Amino acid sequence: MMEVFLSMAWTLASVLFISSLRGLSHQETARRGNSYGVVGMCVAVAAVILGEKVDRAHLPVLLPAMGVGAALGMVMAKRVAMTAMPELVAVLHSFVGLAAVLVGWAAWLDAAHEGTPSALLLGEIAVDVFIGAITFTGSVVAFLKLRGTLSGRPLLLPARHLLNVAVALASLSLAALFVKGDAVDPNLALGVMTLLAGALGVHLVAAIGGADMPVVVSMLNSYSGWTASAAGFMLENDLLIITGALVGSSGAILSVIMCRAMNRSIWSVIFGGFGAEPAPSSGPARAPEGEVVATDLDALAGELRDAREVVIVPGYGMAVSRAQHAVKQLVEILRAKGASARFAIHPVAGRLPGHMNVLLAEASVPYDIVLEMDEINGDFARTDVVLVIGANDIVNPSAQTDPASPIAGMPVLEVWKAKRVVVLKRSRASGYAGVDNPLFYHPSTRMLFADARDGMEKLVAKLQG
Amino acid sequence: MQVSIPREVLPGERRVAATPESVKKLIAMGFTVHVERGAGALAALPDRLYEAAGATMVDDPWKGARVVLKVRPPAERHDGTHERELIPEGALLVSFLWPARNADLVAHLASRHVDALAIDMIPRISRAQKMDALSSMANIAGYRAVIEAAHHFGSFFCGQMTAAGKVSPAKVLVIGAGVAGLAALGTAKGLGAVVRAFDTRAAVREQVQSMGAEFLEVTVAEDGEGGGGYAKEMSPAFIEAEMALFRAQAREVDIVITTALIPNRPAPKLWLRDMVEAMRPGSVVVDLAAESGGNCELTVPDEVVVHQGVTILGRTDLTSRLATTASQLYANNLVHLLTDMGGGALTIRLDDEVVRGALVAHEGRVLEPPPRVAVSKAETKTDTKTVAKTETKTDTKTETVAKTETKSAHGHGHGAAPAGGERVSWMTWAAIGGLAAAWIAMRAGVGPFAHEADASLRLFAERVTVFVLSCFVGWQVIWNVSPALHTPLMSVTNAISGIILVGGMLHLRGAELGAAGWLGVVAVLLATINVAGGFLVTRRMLAMFRK
Repeated sequence: MMEVFLSMAWTLASVLFISSLRGLSHQETARRGNSYGVVGMCVAVAAVILGEKVDRAHLPVLLPAMGVGAALGMVMAKRVAMTAMPELVAVLHSFVGLAAVLVGWAAWLDAAHEGTPSALLLGEIAVDVFIGAITFTGSVVAFLKLRGTLSGRPLLLPARHLLNVAVALASLSLAALFVKGDAVDPNLALGVMTLLAGALGVHLVAAIGGADMPVVVSMLNSYSGWTASAAGFMLENDLLIITGALVGSSGAILSVIMCRAMNRSIWSVIFGGFGAEPAPSSGPARAPEGEVVATDLDALAGELRDAREVVIVPGYGMAVSRAQHAVKQLVEILRAKGASARFAIHPVAGRLPGHMNVLLAEASVPYDIVLEMDEINGDFARTDVVLVIGANDIVNPSAQTDPASPIAGMPVLEVWKAKRVVVLKRSRASGYAGVDNPLFYHPSTRMLFADARDGMEKLVAKLQG
Repeated sequence: MQVSIPREVLPGERRVAATPESVKKLIAMGFTVHVERGAGALAALPDRLYEAAGATMVDDPWKGARVVLKVRPPAERHDGTHERELIPEGALLVSFLWPARNADLVAHLASRHVDALAIDMIPRISRAQKMDALSSMANIAGYRAVIEAAHHFGSFFCGQMTAAGKVSPAKVLVIGAGVAGLAALGTAKGLGAVVRAFDTRAAVREQVQSMGAEFLEVTVAEDGEGGGGYAKEMSPAFIEAEMALFRAQAREVDIVITTALIPNRPAPKLWLRDMVEAMRPGSVVVDLAAESGGNCELTVPDEVVVHQGVTILGRTDLTSRLATTASQLYANNLVHLLTDMGGGALTIRLDDEVVRGALVAHEGRVLEPPPRVAVSKAETKTDTKTVAKTETKTDTKTETVAKTETKSAHGHGHGAAPAGGERVSWMTWAAIGGLAAAWIAMRAGVGPFAHEADASLRLFAERVTVFVLSCFVGWQVIWNVSPALHTPLMSVTNAISGIILVGGMLHLRGAELGAAGWLGVVAVLLATINVAGGFLVTRRMLAMFRK
């Protein structure tokens, strides 16, 4: 009877999770979506306990473990700065990956303990551990890269594609040995395969450049879903399969969206090495002509005072220096004097999909003046001043003009059509993609070399004074 | 190093080559600055402002000067002496010089070992834009031309509907869409006039249209791009077509502003006597080329001519009429130039193409101008067709259509696979192929799991069904998520993937917690961090989004 109860509970939880994701796709329903997710999770946990799937004797161990986990999660969620969201997301992915590896091993130990497990189950265990280990180590590397502990530059080993294939094949053979079970010690086979998969995860993410981080994080998001799904197959649990599949496809969609925003094929991101590949067309990328013209805060303040139409393009630089509150103040000043001030967000601005939106929301910028690339690209021609804050590749005109450029074909914000572009930047260095930016040499562009927050705060002071 | 700014001597010249602001910058660069008393008086820049900025006010600015900044070429002073004699030997003179017209002056300066930099010869390349005084002055002239025209024009520029009757808007034709022409277009448009422009260079069409003006074209295909941002002289056939266009326009327009110049040649005659006579009485012609002879046949430099009721303004002092702003921009151009030349440690480097282009006399010799550098960035199209208005319209239309297409593609086109159109995606074919392979494998009784029990295989197949359907549902649900919510979506999926904790819990079985049990406990702990952290941070984020 309990099986029937459980399967009803799984169905309810699944429906709640689907509603949760559905709610998350629109601003108006997003909060309700989150609540559905919470309820769904409570239903699932309660069902496992009430459905007598856990021996009551173990509750004194289980409940404190959950309590500790919940407390840790809450502290992390409360403490995290919005600018550090990418790191938090990455580290959470690694937990799912590690949990999946542990569950896989637990399943193997249980199965070995109870007798001869079927080949099907062993295969499922191998798949679960494999994906889980890749997710775990990949997320850890992504986390370290996002934190800056590891360099954002892609690690390019010689023959890295071959290396990936070799490691994958080796893992596959070990998995086969493990499933057959009689050739070698299955513990050894599974153990070595876990390590190999972990190494593969490290290498896959290490080979991906910092500019591709939004895609990497979405990919890992997707993997963490697939790994849960694999665990569901292994444990014959439909809830895990369904939930994992939902998360997996959600992450996959985000990855596809991010890849499109960078005009990159998903494969080139999965297998890494962007930024070092030779450009597909002949001829070297053109070096920009002209000269970089610097400006100062007084000149910028003067231009903003006269401007009627202002667009702000935030990038990773705004996140790094936490300039969003100063930017918000600037927008308030501009709007108070009757000018139109809006934000233009590129899909891959920042290091996480939608990162800029979250930061602006944190500074209480109303979301109806935060526009997407497609919505605002047509408006630049009648914009008086575009303020680019710590963004580079996403406003690089060579994506459209220079077929030899590594970012050729990537959709970009066409800021150079505006009457005046002011680029706020710490230095002349090129962006994560390592591509020189002709925008800086454009006749209507002025460069303001300053830290984003410092510059914005001084600008606000000037406009107020 | 001493920089001197003498008072301009030409009657009617109100500009000055330095402002208190630019003096400050010069001093910051390491120059000492001497300004002749009263130099800025006509530009509303009294001596005390210069003094406050750190300049030394003197009666004889020429003494000890190493750099002399001027607006107009050296000329005879009212006391009979000539400025060209006053510049100390070896000093650097920076001013408008027009070397093609003033060969004698340049030769004289060279003979006196004066280094002469003609600001009008600065190459028009992007790097030198900030020192391009021709552009900054032309901008002012274009603005002032419209203001002068308005002064002599007996009607509104903008159309009005009043209780007393209707007034049509003025029609303004600008010939030559260079910097001055574009400034005139912008000003006239701002006053509410209907504006049109003609230029032989097809590349400027976009610029004209961006000012909200109509770009007139003739039917003859020829591009007048002459290098360096100027036009070249056109073929007779083209000129004939151009004249026919102008004659037709003359009957319609109220204001004509001509700005056509060809370097080192007299200005082309474009607005002929019969065109003036065809214009309505009360119309105004402003000839910005008056100094080089004028584009209009009836122009008399520096005079206002009225011919059959049409006023023709041949002013050559338009920039001077905006003396304060003109001085400010010109002084900034000079400051930029001196900054580029090394500031207080100024040196003349002949390998600097900007300096080389503008330097006309150096170390006792007259320098020939180097070849001009190309400036026009816009694509030069040669197939100019008839009047552009219709074309513009269709262009915008296509753009809108394109935009809607992208939008709809984003909105609906993603039901299943990202591939568009009617074709079935490769994924579908792959799935069908896989199904076929499975059938063959089942029939033959081979495959990796051939000896599994039938019941467990059936269960497996059911799970695959559940899995595939869930992927499909997920795919459908997540498309159309608004990009602003990508981060919250990710953190909520993070929380939901914490469902793996159920997997951990399922191992807490048996009387004793074995190794598997403990692994499960750790997994539960980790996954709970995800669940709690993910949901909470999502909540925190969503609370911040507001309309």
